This record gives sequence, C-alpha cells and structure tokens, in this order.
Amino acid sequence: MTSYIIRRLLLMVPTLVGITLVVFFVMALRPGGVAAAVDQMERGMRPEEAQALRAYYNQHYGLDKPRYVQYLRWLNNVSPLGFHHDDSWTLTGFGFKKPDLGESFLRNQKVTSLVAEALPVTLVLNLITIPLAYCISIFVGIYAGRYRGKWFDTTSNVVLLGAWSIPVMWTGVMFVGFFANRDFCHWFPTGGVHDSLAGQMTFLPHLFETGLQRGWLFDAMWHLVLPVLCLLYGAFAYLAKLMRSSVLENLTADFVRTARAKGVREHVILFQHVLRNSLLPLITVAAGLIPSLLGGSLIVETIFSIHGMGKLMIDAINQQDNEVVMSVTLVASIISLASLIVRDVCYAIADPRVSFE
Amino acid sequence: MTQASDSISLPPNKVARGNPTPHWLVEALYRALGRVGAKLGAAWVVALLAAAAFAPLLANSMPYAVKIDGRWSSPLLQHLTYVDVTLMVAFIALMGLWCWRSGRFLTKLALFSGLVTAALILSLWFCRPPLTVYHQYRVLQAEQQLQAVVRAPIPYSPADKLYDQPDIIPPLPPSTTHWLGTDRFRQDIASRMIHASRLSLSVGFIAVSISAVIGITLGGLMGYFAGAMDMFGLRLVEIFSTIPQLYLMLAIVAFFGRDIYLIMVVIGLTSWPGYAYFTRAEFLRLRKQDFVQAAVATGTPMRSILFRHMLPNGMAPLLVNATFGVAGAILAESSLSFLGLGVVDQASWGDMLNQAVSPGGGFYWWLATFPGLAIFFSVFAFNLVGEALRDAIDPHTQK
Repeated sequence: MTSYIIRRLLLMVPTLVGITLVVFFVMALRPGGVAAAVDQMERGMRPEEAQALRAYYNQHYGLDKPRYVQYLRWLNNVSPLGFHHDDSWTLTGFGFKKPDLGESFLRNQKVTSLVAEALPVTLVLNLITIPLAYCISIFVGIYAGRYRGKWFDTTSNVVLLGAWSIPVMWTGVMFVGFFANRDFCHWFPTGGVHDSLAGQMTFLPHLFETGLQRGWLFDAMWHLVLPVLCLLYGAFAYLAKLMRSSVLENLTADFVRTARAKGVREHVILFQHVLRNSLLPLITVAAGLIPSLLGGSLIVETIFSIHGMGKLMIDAINQQDNEVVMSVTLVASIISLASLIVRDVCYAIADPRVSFE
Repeated sequence: MTQASDSISLPPNKVARGNPTPHWLVEALYRALGRVGAKLGAAWVVALLAAAAFAPLLANSMPYAVKIDGRWSSPLLQHLTYVDVTLMVAFIALMGLWCWRSGRFLTKLALFSGLVTAALILSLWFCRPPLTVYHQYRVLQAEQQLQAVVRAPIPYSPADKLYDQPDIIPPLPPSTTHWLGTDRFRQDIASRMIHASRLSLSVGFIAVSISAVIGITLGGLMGYFAGAMDMFGLRLVEIFSTIPQLYLMLAIVAFFGRDIYLIMVVIGLTSWPGYAYFTRAEFLRLRKQDFVQAAVATGTPMRSILFRHMLPNGMAPLLVNATFGVAGAILAESSLSFLGLGVVDQASWGDMLNQAVSPGGGFYWWLATFPGLAIFFSVFAFNLVGEALRDAIDPHTQK
C-alpha cells in the first residue's frame, strides 16, 4: 500500500505540469498570444498605466520571447519551488520561495492575496455542504436499498434522478426571486455571507436593551441557508443513489446470508453488517465530489454574490483581468487534484486489495 | 482466464449477423424504452426535436398567408432560410425512417444523409429570404390593408423587439398576447424558448460527437497498446478530468471569444475523459480475447482491428455515456449563457434565466420559471433515457 501511495504521488507530478500547460496555453494560444491580451487590457487605461502594465508583462513573461520561454517564466513564478532571479532574469539560486500569481492591475492588488481572500469562502461553502449531504443520503440510501422495488424505492429513484437533473442556476434564481425578494417573501437576505453590520455583532445571540441581536454566527447561518441548499441537493442525490446501489450489493452478499442463517435480527444485519460495508464507497467518493462542487459553487456564488473563487473568476473575466482568470483556474485545478489524491489514498487504505495493476 | 477452455469466443455482433433477430444493441434500446420513465423522457426529446425543426412554423412574426389587394402570398415561406428547410426535412426523414422497421440500418443511413444533402443543396439554391422587418405585417394590419391573414400560433419571431409598439414598458408578464411574457428587450418568451431548443440540442449533439470522437480514439489507443501509451493517455485523462470543467470552459471562452461553434468545441474538448476511460476499459478487456488475437494473427490492418472488430463490441457503455453526455452538454451551454458568456444574438434558455433577477432587485418570475423548466425537463429526459439504457445493458440489474 505504501508503494501504491508513493507511486500515486509521483504520478501527480506530470499531471500537475500538464495542468499548468493547459492553463497557460489557454491564454497564450489565443490569436496574438500574451501580447494580444495586454493590448486588450490596455484599452481604456491612461497612458502611464498602460505603460506600467506593458513593463510589468515584459518583465514577468518577456513579450518578445517565444511562448515556451513565457511559459517557463510563468511556471517559475507560480511554483513554490523554483529559481530565484533578479529583475533582468539572471538566475541567482534555486530553492523554496513564495509563489507569485501575478498582479491584478484593475484591482491594484496581488493575485495571491485576492485568491487567499476568496478561497476560504468557497471552501467553507463546500465543507458545510458535504457533511449535510452525507447525513441525509445515507438514510435515504439505506431505506431505498432495504425496500427495493417498494414504493419508497421507486419514487425515491425518480425523485433523486430528478433532483440530480435540476440545474443549480435555476434553483438559485428561484430561491433568490421567491424567498429573498421584497415583492414575494423576504425571508432571507439577497446575497453575501454577512450583514453589513456583522462586524459589530457579538458572536452568539445576545439580548440588548434595544432587543435581541442575532449575533455573528446566526447571521452567517441565515445568509448561508439558500446557497447551501442550492449546492446540497445535487450532491445529496448523487450520494443517495450511490448508497442505494452499495446497500443492494451488500444485501445480496454471502455474509448477509450467513448472518440471516444464524438468526441475526434484521435491523442488526442492516445497521451493523451492511451499513458499515456500504459506507466504504461513500467515504472514498467524498474527496472526489470537490471538483463538481467547485463548478456548482461558481454558479451559486454568482447568484448570491458571495465573494469566493467563482465570483472572482466571473468578475475577472468580465473585466478581462487575465492573470486572475489563469490563477483561479489553476488554484481550482490544484484543489481538485489534491482531493483526487486524497480519494485514491483513502481508497487504498479502506480497500487493501487496490493496487496499480 | 478463459483460455483454459479451448472454445473460440466469437464477438457477439458476429453471432447476431445473418439472423433475423435485430442487433442486441437495438434490442437493448427497445427494452430500455419499455420503461415508463424512459418513454416520457424519449417523448420529451422527440417533442424538443420537433420544436427545434419546426420552430419557424410555430413562432414567427411573418404570417402563414396574407391577402393584399386580392392576391394571396406567404411571407413565412419567403422568409425561410436554408437552415430552417434542411432541419424540417431532416426531422421528417428521421421520423419516417424510424417508423420503417424492416429496412437495414445502413440503407436507412444512406437514405437519410442523401435526403438531407439534397434538401441542403436545393434550399441553398432556392431560399433567398428578403430583409426582415418583423412588424411589417402588424403595421399593415393596423392600417387595414390586409384583407385576410393567417398567423402562426405564436405570432412573434424570437428577435422581434416590437418596434411598432414603443409605449410598452418591458418586461411584460404573461398575458393573452404574450403567453409567457416578454423579456427586457420586448422579445416574446414563448417564441424564444421554442427557438432556443435549436441551440440546446445542436450544442448537445455536436459537443457529444466531438467528445466521443476524441475520447474513443484516445481510449482505444490506450486500451489496445497498453503500456507506455496507456500511462501517457491516463495522465491526459487525469489532467482534463481534474481541471473543473466550468472553470476551463469559462477560461477558454473568455480568451477566445463567444462563437457558437467555439462553444460546441469547448464543451466537447472538456468532456471527453469519460469516453476515453470507458473505451480504454473495454479495449483492455477485449484485446486478450480470441477474435482480436485471430485478427492480429491474420494481419488485419490496425484501424480495422480497432474500429471494426473491437469498437462495435465495446459500444454499449459508450452509448449510455453519450446519452448522459447530451444532458451534460445542454446544462453546460445554459450555464455559460447564464453566466453571460454564451452565444451572442441567439435565443438561449440560460440567457433568459439570467435576465430574471434584475440588478435593481426586481424579480420577473416568468423569466425564471419557464426557461428553467425547459432546461430541467431536457436534462431530466436525457438522464432518464440514459439510466434506462444503462439498466437494460447492465446484466446485473436484469433479475
């Protein structure tokens, strides 16, 4: 198993390099390459700003250099392990350094700090969703598998497939429109993760003389109800279907027949023998959910104007902020790569039969 | 391994040839369509195809027929483009050939492509639509110059901005004149929804074909050659399945532009790993079997082994994947449109959904409900058919 994990980690390296290649050349292979991107960004800038931008890109990528040099320079800047260099790109040493994702000229900020602000928001959104989805789907899956072919199973089958098919953007828009709008029901806030006054709130609800204040925690929860609901049902439907088929598979296994033959009670079989074995694929799939959830949270963040990775991406595209677009795509890919590695390692730990062949 | 027995394993498709019974895949298809859910799904898909093919007949500002100065003419027919005519012919041909049970598949395919090509060439020759002024006949009618007029069920074209009614403040809620309301540019929603089915379906089918071609070729090579080729291909699959699809699509569209063909290619380029993975698994299994070994031993050319001997036997999971893939592509297209990065100048469900919440805080429920339902039903329909197909093909579920 150790050798499996080591090989898996080593194979991650070419994939990572491939990801950086794809992400860089999506920008560099457009007609005109990086220089065209700079031209496009310059429009509407003041001359001195445009000059600074051009100087920055020249220094960072070398606009007169061939594309592979531009790529290598970018890769060196982005990676935490690489060559140290001075302004004229004479290499001074090799070692660990701070990854530099570039600079957002439109926001006048380092991209690294923009991403560092946005990433936790997206992660929190996903980390709230995943456990909730698990709690519900395990029970639905067990009951559907237990009563296979009965009405609960058949209806839940169709309902789950339906829920899986509902587009996130539709539920998001309907929620915002019907439950967070003054024309209909204004039960929830329209967007954001916090009230504008949240900074002054106490952490927990507190009774002041003026009345009850809901506090920071409940304010955040109140804001997150609709976005989390939007992300929840898709993951839930997927997991519940997986759980059902896993339970079905185990219910027909030999050890269940043996247990029944011994006279073990039915609910003990279900909740102690079958449940434990059925959870295996669900646990390993958890990390693999992240790539698809990242896509979903992009749409949810846009609808609810939550300032996470997705919103950053959309804003950057609309403002043609190239380095932000590239960096966000890169970071999202690295996160999902990491989660896939975690999934494979979990799988190897949970199921010792796994090997490379 | 099966090599313990001396019997030679024949590929299933070779066994079926020459028998009067239909191909096992066709049989599986009919078995899948026996389910209620799959029937409903297939019915919706056919309805959508019909709506896409006959869109200009269902929703058009141009009347079917008008009588001016005692002479009848048909503005709608005059305004048909070659795309409209070809699509209608293609749909009718498709339905006709589907109902014709006894014909052989290749004959049907040849007939179909012949008919469509003929329609395309003829319509390119004959269709010369004049400049379109959408409100032309409404104005004439208001001035009482038309003695008679026969209108389409929805008498508005998708891009008809009602220039003859400048006092309307858009968007209009559903009413008797506009059944599903209008959007912010006074364009009729019912009409736009019918015409948007063209975009969704074409993107769905073409993107799936692109990704299937890439995925099957690569997966086939990986599975057949195994070894280093397999290792390299798997890295490629891993790269493209790791980068979150929506992010990659957005990045490409942002840098390369928002052309309809580009969007089809982009969706195809980002969703092929599934096909490659399935094909690889099937080919790894098949390459050890006797009929492939025999083909290699007799010196059959490589492409013949790959595409004529192995591929037909590994088709089933690919077909299931393609059905789910259409649903995914429709969803991807509407997500792009919803995020404001979809096709320009063409009706799209996602784009209408995007207009439902105005920046000022208003909510136009008809702009959210109807296009959203259309996306949902289409995705659901393809998923239902796909799941029924999977169950029909999978031997484990047949009990």
